Amino acid sequence: MSRRPHGGDEAGERGYPRSRFGHTDLPEEQASALRRAVRLEIATLAFMVTAVIVVFLTMGSSQAMQTAWAEDLLALIPPLAFLVAVRRARKRPTSDHPYGFHRSTGIGHLTAAVALLAVGVSLVVDSGLGLLRAEHPPIGTTELFGHAVWSGWLMIAAMVYTGIGPYLLGRLKLPLAEQLHDKVLYADADMQKADWMTALGTIVGVISIGLGLWWADAAAALLISGSIVRDGWRNLRAASSGLMDRRARTFDDAHPHPLTLAVDDVLGRQEWVAGSRSRVRDQGHVFHVEAFVRPRAGRNVSVDDLETAVDQLRELDWKINDVVLMPVRELPDTIPDPARDQD
Amino acid sequence: MKLEPVPGRWSPPASILLVLVTTLLSACGLSIPTDPDGTLDAVRRDGVLRVGASPSPGWVEVGDDDPTGREPELVEDFAHHLGASVEWTVAGEEHLVEMLEKGELDLVVGGLTDQNPWTAEAAPTRPYTEERTADGTKAHVMLVPMGENAFQSELERWLDGAAS
Repeated sequence: MSRRPHGGDEAGERGYPRSRFGHTDLPEEQASALRRAVRLEIATLAFMVTAVIVVFLTMGSSQAMQTAWAEDLLALIPPLAFLVAVRRARKRPTSDHPYGFHRSTGIGHLTAAVALLAVGVSLVVDSGLGLLRAEHPPIGTTELFGHAVWSGWLMIAAMVYTGIGPYLLGRLKLPLAEQLHDKVLYADADMQKADWMTALGTIVGVISIGLGLWWADAAAALLISGSIVRDGWRNLRAASSGLMDRRARTFDDAHPHPLTLAVDDVLGRQEWVAGSRSRVRDQGHVFHVEAFVRPRAGRNVSVDDLETAVDQLRELDWKINDVVLMPVRELPDTIPDPARDQD
Repeated sequence: MKLEPVPGRWSPPASILLVLVTTLLSACGLSIPTDPDGTLDAVRRDGVLRVGASPSPGWVEVGDDDPTGREPELVEDFAHHLGASVEWTVAGEEHLVEMLEKGELDLVVGGLTDQNPWTAEAAPTRPYTEERTADGTKAHVMLVPMGENAFQSELERWLDGAAS
């Protein structure tokens, strides 16, 4: 049987009230985290636009700064993906979208992951080629208020500015990504890490160029690009597996989500249940639970029994809302045991 | 370095950091920028500035003697400023740029503008003068070896003074 979750007020239907994902009403903690996340992402967009302008004004003919500029442009993609995805995900299910719009999160995650990977790969190619060709980066002077200043100082100042924002914003986003179970936000925090690390790398690189070490800029960039490519690849794999209905995992995709095991625990504790087998997939923020239960021999299962079990499942966590519970004579052997292959 | 998110307070300001870094580095006897291949030092030490000139009416005129015109005059003055004399090579642009890449020249002039096609092989200076023509404004540059940043900065600073 399936239960229609109790919805909130219908009045806000058109305006997508902020405290809801589809039919799932958010607890106060998540509701305020969501408001904060939206504000942070708007702040990120505003900041990154100023960073794009600052870098554009200081880059001159410097190849390194041109790459930094292209990466700042790519860094606009994850916050946009988050805002679009979260707006879609709030919508209630329609007859055309009976599962709701939660999957928009998966698409946003994939988009952000591709952008992150693109930043990493562009940095590898750019700095790798620079080293192979033994390019000596030219940095001349800039006229500033009637004085000729070595442009390296201006680039360092620009990088300090473009690095500080992502450093602070990324750290504020990570806890929200966990509270909201929002993987777009998580990928965006990774992008911000890539941003401030690149900025730091460029600062080290420009100082080294100033000291006559032409190779140090490319070497620093290559060192950093490795970690960005790794983050991008990890997010890309996680996002695509998520869209292929991998069992639900934690917000950082590090482990199978503990709730995937909790479902069978709860069902096993019902006195009328002899055995259960469940599968839990991540719809984006919220989970979709399908569980099969085998009642004890000779025990008649009532609708009340089923409803009690579903209510207990939904009390586990706000993410569990859409639950399908099916009494069967024999547990389906097509569903593997969720307790296996834990990592 | 660990930064705590404190809204509305940035510490330490970038400018202080820059001054600190500069002071520290100069205290160690280092100057920024420095040439990886030591062009500026070599010119001062050897007293020779190796310059390539490619003919360009009004800017670089070539004949039987050393090149003349607006840019050769500037170059002679710059060499004098460095305590050096100019050793001229007259050839086509591509050949001169090749020599610049190989480290056989320190500087190339030829009425070049900031729209020149050699930016992957040579470093253009910051435009030192602008010329209004029928096709619009042209910003003139000279070419120096890639990444010889002390030499490039010295030339750019000197051109600022010479052009005004």
